[in-house]
Amino acid sequence: MKIEELEKEINEGTESISIEERRKFLQMGLAVTGIFLGGSVLSLTSIAQANQNSPDINIPIEGQYPYTKHYSMVMRQNRCIDCEKCVVACKQTNHIPDAHDAYRTAIQERLTTENGSERREFRPVLCNHCNRPPCVRVCPTKATYKDPETGIVLMDYVKCIGCKTCMAACPYNARYFNEEKYAIDKCNFCLDTRLAAGKTETACAAACPARVRIFGDLKDKSTEIYRLLHMPDTKIWVLRPDTGALPNVFYMNA
Amino acid sequence: MKQYRMKTVGTILLAGSFFLVSNSIAAETFDEDTYGPEAPIIWEQPTKVSFSHKTHTMEAGLACDSCHDELFTMESGAALATGTMTMAAMLEGQYCGSCHDGNTAFATNMQCASCHMDMTELIPTDLIVWTKPVKAVIFDHKTHIEDFGLECEACHDSLFAMEKGAAERTTDFTMQALYEGKYCGKCHDGPTAFAANTRCNSCHIGVKGYNRLMGNDGQHGKNNKAGH
Repeated sequence: MKIEELEKEINEGTESISIEERRKFLQMGLAVTGIFLGGSVLSLTSIAQANQNSPDINIPIEGQYPYTKHYSMVMRQNRCIDCEKCVVACKQTNHIPDAHDAYRTAIQERLTTENGSERREFRPVLCNHCNRPPCVRVCPTKATYKDPETGIVLMDYVKCIGCKTCMAACPYNARYFNEEKYAIDKCNFCLDTRLAAGKTETACAAACPARVRIFGDLKDKSTEIYRLLHMPDTKIWVLRPDTGALPNVFYMNA
Repeated sequence: MKQYRMKTVGTILLAGSFFLVSNSIAAETFDEDTYGPEAPIIWEQPTKVSFSHKTHTMEAGLACDSCHDELFTMESGAALATGTMTMAAMLEGQYCGSCHDGNTAFATNMQCASCHMDMTELIPTDLIVWTKPVKAVIFDHKTHIEDFGLECEACHDSLFAMEKGAAERTTDFTMQALYEGKYCGKCHDGPTAFAANTRCNSCHIGVKGYNRLMGNDGQHGKNNKAGH
C-alpha cells in the first residue's frame, strides 16, 4: 500500500461504508481508530485494543444495534435534582399501585461529605432493557420477552405465574409484583401508554424539567440520544457492566 | 432688565412666604392630651419595635378612638401581655394589621424596618425551603450573611420580596430566569458566585432531602427501593 498515492484519493469518509463491509472489516479483527483516507494517518489496531480505549465495552458499537427501532435512554446524571417529577409522571401514566414496593422508575441518592460540607448525588434508575436480559432467560413461562421490533423487555401479564424468578435474576432490581394485575410489572418505556399513541418520549423523560432523561431510537441518527452517545471524548457508563447483560440505559455527565 | 429684577424680587418674596408657613407648622406644640404620649413606644420583646403616636395622630390625623381601646388597651405593656400580638395575627387584620393591610397603610409584611429597629433580629435562622416549581430547594440566610457578608439590601426587595412564598407565587422563578440574572442568578453568575447552571445539588436537595428535613422519611423504601 502506497500511502502517498492513497493520500491523493478523495476522502470517502467512514459514513459511506455499508454495515456489511464494516462487519467484514471488523471480522478481520481490526478496527479503524485513525482517519480513514486522505488524512495523514491510516491507523489500524486490534478490536480488543480499540475497545480498551473506549470508556466501556458495554456501550453498543455503531452498526451493532440489533433492533428495528433500538430504544434506549441516556441519563445525564449530574443534572438530576431528585424532584421526582419523573416518578410521579410514571405512576400516573402507567397506573402504578400506591404500594410501598411498586415502582417502575426511582431516584437513588448518595450523600457524601467533602471538605466538611454535605454533597448530594442523584441517579435515576429504571429497567435497562438489556440486550441479553437475565430476566427473560430465567422466565419459565416466557411471560417476559424481548420485543423483536423495539428491543423493549415486555411482560405478558396473562402468561405470568408470579413466581418472581425474574425479580431475583434482574441485576437492576427493576421489577415488582403488582397485586392488582397479580403478575410481575416493570417499565416498558411507555410502549402501550405513550409510544403506541405516537408520542416520542416516555412519561418520565417528558416530565423531567432538567432534561436528565433523553429517550430515543439509537438507530435514528437524527435523534438527540444518538448524538449524545456518539459525542467524542464523553465518558459514558452503564450500571453493573460486570453482569454482561448489555443494558440500554446509559449514564453520562453532560 | 427691569422686568427681570421684578421677577427676582417676586421669587424671593414667594420663597420667604413658604419659609414662614413651614416654620409655623414646625412650631406647633405637641399636645399629649390630643396626640398621645410624645415619646415613641419601644417594645423590647420579642423583637425591638417602635411605635410613634406622633406619626399616627398628629401627622396621619388619626383620632385616639381609631385604636383605643378596640385594638389596643390604653395601658403600657397590655398588648404584649396578651401573647397574641404576632406578625401572623397582624396579617390577619388584628392589632396594627387593622389599618396596615396594604390599602389603608402599608401591609405588615412590607417595609419591616419602618417599625423594627434592629433588622438583624429578623434574619430567619431556619432554612428557607422552596417546593415550587420543583421540590425542593434550600437557602440559608446565615451562610449568605455571616460567611459572605451580604447586607439585606443585596437581595431585598429588588430580587426577593421579604415575604414567605412570594417568589414561588411568581411564574418565572425558574432556572431560565436565574440564567438571565434574576433572583439568585444576580450573584450566581460565575464570577460573583458559582454559576446557577453548576453545582445543582448545592441548593437542590430533592424529595428525599425534603422529607428528611421535614422529619417524615419514615416511609423507608418508598420510591427508594432500588439500590438501598
